[in-house]
Parts: sequence; C-alpha cells; structure tokens
Amino acid sequence: MADERVEVVLQVNGREHRLEVSPRWTLSDVLRHQLGLIGTHVGCEQGVCGACTVLLDGEPVRSCLMFAVQAQGQHITTVEGITPENGLSPLQEAFRAHHALQCGYCTPGMLLTAQALLDRDPNPSEETIREALTGNLCRCTGYQFIVDAVLAARGQGRGA
Amino acid sequence: MAEVLRPQMMGARVSRLEDPRLLSGQARFLDDIQVPGMLEVAFVRSPHAAAKILSVDVEAARHLPGVYAVMTHQECPVMLWNKESYKVGQPALADGEVAFVGQPVVAVIAENRYIAEDAAELIRVEYQAITPVLDMRDAIQEKPRRVHEHAENVFFKKSRQTPGFDEAFAAASHHLTASFRTNRQTAVTMEPRGTAAMLDAASGRLTVYASTQSPHRMREDICNLLDIPEHLVRIIVPEVGGGFGMKAACYPEDVVVAQAALRYRKPVKWISDRLESLESDVHARDDIHDVEVAFDDDGKIIAIKDHLMADGGAYPAYPWSGAEGETGLAARVLTGPYDIPYLATDIDCTYSNKTPLGSYRGVWGPIASFIQEGLVDRVARHLNLDPADVRRRNMIRKEQFPYRNAARMIYDEGSYLESMEEALKLIGYEDFRKRQAVLRQQGRYVGVGISVFVEPTAMASSEAGEVGYESCTIRIEPSGRVTAAFGLGPSGQGHETTMAQLLADQLGVPLADIVVLHGDTDSAPYGGGTGGSRSGPIGGGAALVAGRQMRERLIKYAAHLLEAGEDDIELGDGKAWVAGVPDRSLTIRTIAQTAYMDVSKIPEGLPIGLEITGRYLPKRPVTFSNGTHIAEVEVDVHTGVVKVTRYAVANDCGRVINPTIVEGQIHGGVAQGIGAAVLEALRYDEDGQLVTTSLLDYLLPESTDVPRIDVHHIETPSEGEGGIKGMAEGSLIAAPAAVACAISDALAPFGGMVDTLPVTPDMVLKMVQDR
Repeated sequence: MADERVEVVLQVNGREHRLEVSPRWTLSDVLRHQLGLIGTHVGCEQGVCGACTVLLDGEPVRSCLMFAVQAQGQHITTVEGITPENGLSPLQEAFRAHHALQCGYCTPGMLLTAQALLDRDPNPSEETIREALTGNLCRCTGYQFIVDAVLAARGQGRGA
Repeated sequence: MAEVLRPQMMGARVSRLEDPRLLSGQARFLDDIQVPGMLEVAFVRSPHAAAKILSVDVEAARHLPGVYAVMTHQECPVMLWNKESYKVGQPALADGEVAFVGQPVVAVIAENRYIAEDAAELIRVEYQAITPVLDMRDAIQEKPRRVHEHAENVFFKKSRQTPGFDEAFAAASHHLTASFRTNRQTAVTMEPRGTAAMLDAASGRLTVYASTQSPHRMREDICNLLDIPEHLVRIIVPEVGGGFGMKAACYPEDVVVAQAALRYRKPVKWISDRLESLESDVHARDDIHDVEVAFDDDGKIIAIKDHLMADGGAYPAYPWSGAEGETGLAARVLTGPYDIPYLATDIDCTYSNKTPLGSYRGVWGPIASFIQEGLVDRVARHLNLDPADVRRRNMIRKEQFPYRNAARMIYDEGSYLESMEEALKLIGYEDFRKRQAVLRQQGRYVGVGISVFVEPTAMASSEAGEVGYESCTIRIEPSGRVTAAFGLGPSGQGHETTMAQLLADQLGVPLADIVVLHGDTDSAPYGGGTGGSRSGPIGGGAALVAGRQMRERLIKYAAHLLEAGEDDIELGDGKAWVAGVPDRSLTIRTIAQTAYMDVSKIPEGLPIGLEITGRYLPKRPVTFSNGTHIAEVEVDVHTGVVKVTRYAVANDCGRVINPTIVEGQIHGGVAQGIGAAVLEALRYDEDGQLVTTSLLDYLLPESTDVPRIDVHHIETPSEGEGGIKGMAEGSLIAAPAAVACAISDALAPFGGMVDTLPVTPDMVLKMVQDR
C-alpha cells in the first residue's frame, strides 16, 4: 500500500518530467529527491514558514502542503527556474547587494514570493512588500534588508 | 604612498562571497546530502512528561517492508553524560523511563522517511505515567518529588556577594522588590537539526555530516560517547541554516545516527521535522529572578540582591546545561553598564520534566538586561525621574575603564554613555515625550524603552566550548590563489567574506583570490567553532596572525627575488614591488611558483611551499561590546496588542570588519528580541504536554512585526588583534528589555510595569484593568 506508485507528469522550470511517485509524496519531496532541485527547502512541513514556496502557474504555493500528483499538468517554478544560465537575476542581485540573506535557508522561498509580487505589481510600496512577505519567515535578517532588496528590484523584470 | 591609497578591505561594505550559491539554490544543506543506499531515521518519542517504560514491542515495525532496523537503548547503550559536572545524564534512547515529552525512545531505520514514520506508528510502548515535576519553585523544594531519584533537583547552586553588601543595602534610603519571569523560548532555526553518518568507503573511517556550530567539538563528543579515537572520525558541516547557539550542543539523535552507521555499515540520515524541533531542540530562558534593589534619593543605585532560578529541564544538555549558563553569567553581569557597587546573588538551577535547557543567542543576556533595565525604570518611576536621567546618573564613566564590576568582572573600554546619547538622538527622545503627552490625551498609548547593554564577547570559555583560541591555516597555491581554513562553524554570519577581507589586506591579494574553508575536521585546524560571539574577534584574530606571518614570508621572497631590502617591499593587487619603483615588481603567483616549483631560488632559511598555521589566544579572557537600543511601541489598550513602531540602535563592537554584515546581525537580533518580548513562548499544560508544537502556536516575528531599525556605529577598539570585539548577541541581549521597557512606559498611566516575557495581549489587558 505504502509503496504503490502512480505516474505523474510535471512541468518544472520549463521542462517536462514523467515520474513514478507514491501518491502521498509531497511536491517538495519530489522536487528535491526525484528531480534533485535542492533549492526548495523544507522548514516546517506545516505550511507556516514558507521556505518551501514554489510558483504554481505563477502563484506562490507551499510545496510541503501539496502532493506531487496534485501538480499534474501545472507549471512549477523553483528557485533554479528563476536563476539565469549565467549569474543572477535582478532580484537575486538586489538580494546580494542589500545583504538580504544570512543563512540562506529561507531565501529561495523569499525570492519566489517576491518575484511573484513583482510579476503582478512591478512597483509595490514598502507596505505591500511587507504584506506579501508575511508568509515567509526569516530568522536571521529581521526582514529590513529583504524589503530593501525588493524595493531596489522594482521595475527591473526577471532579467535574462 | 601606495600603502595609504590601497583600499583596505577591513571596514568595507563588501557583498558576501557565499551569496551566489545560496541565491541560486545550489547550496547544500544537511538534507541535501544523499548517497546511494542511504537509510532514513524516524524517532518514536515520549508522549509523557514522566513515566516508567513497562514494555517496548517493536516486532510489527521490524517486519514492515522497507524497514532496515529498529534501535532501542539495547542497540545504542550510550549515555550523554558529562560526569565531571552532573550526577545525571540522558540516555541516547530512553532506558526504562522517560522524563520529558519528545524524549527519543526508539529509532526506526528504513528506506525512506515515509516508511520509517509508518513503522514508528506500529511500535507499542507501554508506559506507566508518574506525576510530572513542572513548577520551578516547587521543584527547587523537591516537590512534588525528585525528577531523578538519585539526584537532588537543584543541580547547580551558587552564592556570591560583594564584601560589605549587607551594610550598604541596609543603609540605602529606598528599597524596591520585584519578581521577573522569562518564559521558555527556543532558537527555531529555519533549517531544522539533522545528522547523517556513513563509513568512508576508502578509509573505513566514520564520516558524520552534522548541522553544528562547532565541528571539532562535535568530533570530540561523538568520539567520547561512542569510544572511537579522533583520527577515525571526520565531521563535515555542510551549509547550516541558522544556529543561534541551539546547534552548539551534541544531541541524542546525533549519537544514534552515528551509532546506526557504525552498527549497520550503512549511510544513515535523520532530519528533524518542526514538531521534533520544538520538542527536542534545546529550550532556553526559563528563568525567575526575585530581586531587591537599594538606591538613594537621586536614583543612584547602590545594591542589587537577586535570587536567580532556572528550570534546566529533564537532563543537562550535553555537555552543558543552559540553565547554568543563563544564571551563572547573569549573576556576573547583572549590573550591566551601570556603576552599581554592591551585588548579592543566589542561584538555584533545577531539574523538571521539560525539555533540556541549552543555549540560545545571548544565553544569559536577554534575561539579565530585562532585569537590569526593568530595575532602572522602577527606580525612575518610584522617584518620578526621567528614565534617561537615572541611566546617566548610574552609568560607568570613560575614566573608570578598565572597570571592575560588583561581581569582579573586568570591563575593557566602551562607549556606554555616548551610545545612549546617540540612540536618544536617533529616536528623537525630547520630541517623543511631547508626542507621547499629546497622544495620551487622545487615548493612544505610546512608549519608549531604553536598553543600554554590555555584551561580553570572545570569552575564554563559551557555548562553543573551552577552547579559548582559534586557528587559521593559510595555503597559497602554486597559482598564487589562497585557501584559508578555520575551525569555525558559521551559520549565516558570512565568515567566508569577513575572514577573506582580513586576509586580503594582509596578503595584498584581491578578495576573489581567497577561498575560506570551514566545517571539515579533515581540512580545518583545531578550533572552538562559532558561539559566544567569538568568531570575529578570535577567528578574525587568527586570520590576522596567520596573515601577518604569511605576509612576512612573501616579503622575504620578494626582497630576495627583486634584490631589495625587506623594508622597501610593498604588497597589493596580487603583486609585490619595491616602494617608489612600481616597475620592480613580481606577482604573488611568481612567488608561489618559486616556493613550490623552483625551489632552488627559495631564500635561505625559508621552508618549501607557502603554508602557515597561525593561532590566536586573546590576552584578555573577555572583551565587552556595548550599545543602546531604544524601542518605540504603541499599545492598543482595547485589544492588548503591542506594535513596535520605531527602533534605534547605537552599537559599539570595536573595529568593524564589514558594517553591512554587522547591521544584518543587529537587525536579526532585534527581530528575535521583538519575538522574545511579545510573541514567543513554549507552553506546557498541567500534564507536562508541550502545547506549542507548530509555528502557528509558537509565533515568530513576521515582516510586518519588525519596524525599520536605525543603526549608528561607534568604534571603541578592543586591545586584542585588529581591535575587534564580538557582536552577534548584543542585539538580542538588548532588544527584549527595550521593548519591555517601552510597554511599561506606554502603560505608565495605568501604573503597572512589565515583569514577564513575553508580554501577551492578555497581560496587557490585565495591566490596563488593574489600574
């Protein structure tokens, strides 16, 4: 029972993957363990901390609260998917320039939530940014430099 | 001239070298360690605060397909017990009894975590519950019983008194009493704990991947506990997603995983889930202080008497109990930045049926500051004086350094009063008082809290261990590029950048030519690791010492090869040249190639190659950073909700290596301090069940809970290498007190003062109603 496998087709970062998964495997586990996309981090498995945030058809979701089979046919974007082939995206560069990360564990989820915000609102206010980030916990930075980074990345698009 | 014009990396706002891998999802944390055939562990944990184990039935679990092994105390008969300090140790897996909810009882090892958890549910443990010991004051009186039959509940007791205390205390014209309570909190690293272990295929040695702050300490602990000689164990620390002191200990799970890898000759991994983290990561801050303060008519504080109590939980964390750390040091720095001549302290640390107390950033400091600043504010309110003025009257003055406090701690020079005046300016104190008066008329309650802190850093012994020095091995490769290895255990502090900054200045090479290695006991020289704000001052000191030695060697080479005097050689931009004659130059690469490949040209008396290990042991057993935090809050007296609205910090940590990184550390500590002040509490019910077992119950500050933080740097150099002082704890030492004092200030019209952390909405409403 536990080892029953089903086939699922996932569109991840623009590539199609045909996978045999157990129906109870979470999306985060499949991204990490089946596809080796270790940029997606698991922080609480309770849907609270936001470290496992990925984009599902452009919207931030908790990949620890979804089964992989539920993502069938949808477009999934992980931090690897917003990273250009060479170097960093404007948002990632802004994170570096503004020291918006320390241990880096929450960072991929933070980037995806912020990127989704900038995709739908290229010019958000500080208040809007802070509201958007409330679902992503960071224990190191006190958030100020993250907010500064997102403010600095406004209007720059996703880059290459 | 060139020397003066060359940019100095120390003090520069350099972007971090570790960032690109972390930003692109390429960094490898513990759960990203994966090798073929790796098994995963799930623990069966105690559901009882206190119980006898009558039987354990693992048969059903053992036969579940995919289960490799099931371990009980019989398969892992190891005690985490520091016998020199304590009468009690914790078995890695429970042995006949359990003493707190979450204590590991059985380990299931299976093909993957899903199967391991399925199997864990099939394990039947029969318990006979006994009355739990949950109340700290009762426990100290051995009520309702002893936690461990053969040991008194009070496991650490210490009294200390300044000579002449009783007379001075009695002679003072005013006395106040107060009881302060800090409730249990925990570090909550975003990356949970985890361990992986395997036998190395080539050498047969044991490799342990550990998410720890102290690689060598972890090696020592694993070796001692499993009785393996050190040269047969290698600790590798991958990226660590936050430590905050919590990852300074060795835990039962680390030992079980290592034992499983040895016993079954398989790679084994365990990753904590969040429920396990909240139950089994060391807790902190479970303290009560019964305090009396004596002062004169002007608000000059003369004497403090404090009964410090801490609930250490069921066992001492290995190898030290956080209760001892919290009270022991609090008792020595309780007078903070103030010139208070008399102090009397009595410490009682007790066992209970709760999770062991360990270290969490600041350890003693957030508690002591809360009490020290709470007392100053009580004195001010009693005498109807301005809280800033009472602080001015009591502050240690410049001319008093080096200052010996009432507990005989020696403070090196700091900027105590200056930092407060600066912070008052940043927050606009005079203007605030006017604004506060106007708002009160409108039924709005705002307040400011001043928290002037001292932060003992770079201590000879700290949560990172008893190793008072740090080491740096510099190797300049034949290409002229540099690797520098340290025994540090960074978890986000950016040591790869700050240590490279220090080395770049010494070696005259670009930052990009330096790679800082850490977290591998096979490559790192022996070191204490990261904790107690020691990596900057002691690790940085080691970088400076080793860097200087290597610099001298490079200069000898250059003088020899350029046929010039050593005094005339300058280094920079990856080159060495004769001062004033930039054409007479050679590259560090040429020197390196000479040192390794063209050895007949090596100057007489120098060894082959370019490799040096430098060690640094500070002369002082401690150096004090200092500063002032001021929080402004608004309290909604109808809902009890506290909002921190503005925040100012004047910080002095000696010479700053990288101001941006220092500010990041301050911001993060302030956020944790806001959590400590108004959000975070681990709660147990009357049966000893932990009821805050998710991040929906244990609340961390979110982006909207933390205001902008205005930081001003002051630099009073230490007497140590580079003038560096440590700084990562000061922000969390100061912040809870700043917020607590601000709430007391906001609610002054209602008369009460905050005496418990965190301040919950219920407590605020009670303060308002108690008027």
